[in-house]
Order: sequence, then C-alpha cells, then structure tokens
Amino acid sequence: MTQLRSPIYDLADIVAVNDMYHRRGWTDGLPILPPTEELVQDCLDAAGLAPSAVISVESVRQRPITAEKVAINAVMAGCLPAYMPVVIAVIKAMCQPEFNLHGSTASTGGSAQFIVVNGPIRQRIGLNATHNVLANHSRANACIGRAIRLILINVLGCVPGQLDRSTLGHPGKFTFCIAEDEEDSPWTPLAQQRSIPAGASAVTVMAGESPHQTMNEWTRDPKEIAETFAAEIRHNMLTYSIWAGNYALIVPKQLRELIAAAGWQKHDIQEHIYRSARVVRRDWATVGKQQIVNLGKGADQRFGALHSPDDLLVVAAGGPAGGFGAIVPPWLGSRSQAVTQIIETP
Amino acid sequence: MTLRVLDPTFDNDQAVQATVSRLPSLAGRTVGLLDNGKLNVDTLLDHVETLLRSQHGVGTVIRLHKSDASRPAPEDVVRGFAGCDAVISAVGD
Repeated sequence: MTQLRSPIYDLADIVAVNDMYHRRGWTDGLPILPPTEELVQDCLDAAGLAPSAVISVESVRQRPITAEKVAINAVMAGCLPAYMPVVIAVIKAMCQPEFNLHGSTASTGGSAQFIVVNGPIRQRIGLNATHNVLANHSRANACIGRAIRLILINVLGCVPGQLDRSTLGHPGKFTFCIAEDEEDSPWTPLAQQRSIPAGASAVTVMAGESPHQTMNEWTRDPKEIAETFAAEIRHNMLTYSIWAGNYALIVPKQLRELIAAAGWQKHDIQEHIYRSARVVRRDWATVGKQQIVNLGKGADQRFGALHSPDDLLVVAAGGPAGGFGAIVPPWLGSRSQAVTQIIETP
Repeated sequence: MTLRVLDPTFDNDQAVQATVSRLPSLAGRTVGLLDNGKLNVDTLLDHVETLLRSQHGVGTVIRLHKSDASRPAPEDVVRGFAGCDAVISAVGD
C-alpha cells in the first residue's frame, strides 16, 4: 500500500468524490466509483503488478502508462480486479506502433478502441457475446471499455477539445468491448486466426468508427448474406472514408448458421468481401461528391476496402434471433492497424 | 469518516518531455513551418509566413512537409528544423 505514489485526497463521501472528479475533468461524464487505496491495491494484486510497473509507453509524447494509474482508472470505471489482465492487454495492444494511438485518438475522425476478447477469460469474468452484444448488459464489457477511455482521458490527455479533437465522436467512446461467441460458433476464433494459440486468451483492438447495422432475412445463400455486408462497406467507403484497412464484421447466430450450413468458413466470407467491397471513383457522384470524381487517377480509379482478405476481422457475436449483422469501419484506412495481444494472467 | 481517493491523472514528474520557455521576441529569428500534408495547408502557411515577416519581424522562415498528418514528422524533417528558434506545426484541413 505504501508503494502507491499518486496524490491522495480526503473527501467527505462518494458524492464529494464525484463532484471533484467531474469538476476536474477526470471522468467521461458518468459517475465513477471512488478509487480508494484498498480497491486500487486489489486491482494491482489481481494483475500481479507493482504500482510503478510500466505497462507501455505512448510513443509520440513518450508518456509511460503505469500499473498504478491503470488500476486507479479501472476502479473508477467500475472494473472488478479480475478484469485487469484484459485492460492491461488492451493498453499493450494500442501502444504498438501500427495502432498509431496518438493519431487515432487526436483525430477529428473520432474513433474508439473496438475491443474483441477471445479465449477462456471471457467466461471467467462474464463477458457478453450474445444478446445486445454491442450495447449494455455485462459489467465486464461495459467497465473494461470504459476503463480504456478513462485512461486515455486521464493518463494520455485525450480530453475533448484538448488532445481529442473529434468533431463528433461516437457512443463507442464510452465503451466498445465485446467477446466472441466461441462456444456457439463453428468457426475459428478471431484470435486464433491472428496467430494466438488455442486455449490462450487475447484481445484484438482496432480504432473503429461507430457500428453500422445491417439486415438480410430473405436468403439462405451465403454469397447474398456476405453481399449485404459488402454493400454497407462500399457505402462507408463512399460516404465516409475510401481508404483500405481493417473492417470488423459482427455475425450473429442466425446468419452464422445459414453461412456455416453452406459450408463457408470465415475465410470464405473474407475472400468474398475482399473481392466485392470495391468502388470506382465515379461512384462518389452518387453521394454528393461529384467535385472529387475527376481528381487522383480519374473517374475509373478503383478502390478496395481491404488490402487483403485478412484485413477483415470476422467476429461471431450477437443474440440468436434476427438476420442482423454489423460492420465496424476503420478510423482512417490502414493509418491505424488492428493489433492482437495475448492476455497474461498472473 | 472520509474517503481517501487517488489521483487518476498522469504524474508530471514522469514526463520525459518538457515545454521550452517562450521567446521574448521573434524579431530576426528563424522560424520553421511544418506542413502536415492536408488540403489547404499551403494557403494557411502562406498567410502565417506573411504575418510572421510583416508583423513580427521574423528573419528566416524554413518550410518543410510531412506526408502523413496522423503521424509524427520523420527524423529527416525534424533535423531540417535544427537551426530554428521556433517551429509551428500547422494543421490544414
């Protein structure tokens, strides 16, 4: 306990704590749990880390992110100690150079860290992978994603109007964490597709824009189902950003079963969308962007959404009923790349 | 009974970068202007250069370019500003 180095405040009660933390800009606007020494120490113990341990260093401003600050913000977000290994892994992932943390968090484009958890830790800490998966339900999903936002605000200075220059942002900036429904999916889990051994737990993190929901309940043909996702990606390329990068695809059970019944694996979806999610420059005229049709290499210039099929992160998740799905577009093409990081438990 | 709670913010004594003190005057100084590669940044920096020369007596302006607005300037660009008294890293958008 004596190793904790952060300044300490003695405050009357939880209301006083929230008043001061809100007033100083230390929250996301929602109430926080008071980060007492005992709760913070519990989180550090669960992670097996000394307070001074440096988890990662943000490379542009050379800011070390210490275990103590991670634990304080995790407690504020409502995390249980058992969530700490996931929070730590997300920080390690987003501090990898290819994630471009500074650029993706400062940009007017307003992305959030979209977190997908794989492996046995999902069930141990109660992460939701089914009903309402992209929204409210589980404490673990809600608080892990929120902890990352509070760390960005308090440790890295991603305060709206200061380092965070988002024009709009999106609701995922409060929290944006899901688990893959591995038990109810016939497909290879995302982390294993990305070289994590079976049986290990891992996070995959991407700088994501808000999810776009799709629906197709009128076919059993996997090509047609994949085509609905591809169309939404093409639409995003025209209305938001043309640049190729990681897109995430959330495939709930109803569509998953139809696709799998046709013998398709994840790589078949990836291959289809790689070939289909393409536009030509002249298509911009259909979305009010006539002014840029003749720039670059001219109206016939072709653009693909993915550099390769592997750019598509296919995730089995969502409730059992309905022909719904979602895409999560990248912040700015491959300026930020998804990173998969193993979760280490002490 | 009070609650003893911890400060969640970055501890500045761990900072490895510090802000330099402001120049007392720009007169006769060399100022670098970093173009971040975004649309219209040239228009913005032309105007800034005019103001620096006409209103602040700046002696020399060095203008360099980086091609990726969302990443730090490459080492060679940073070295190109080595002789500057101040650098403005501008955002065109």
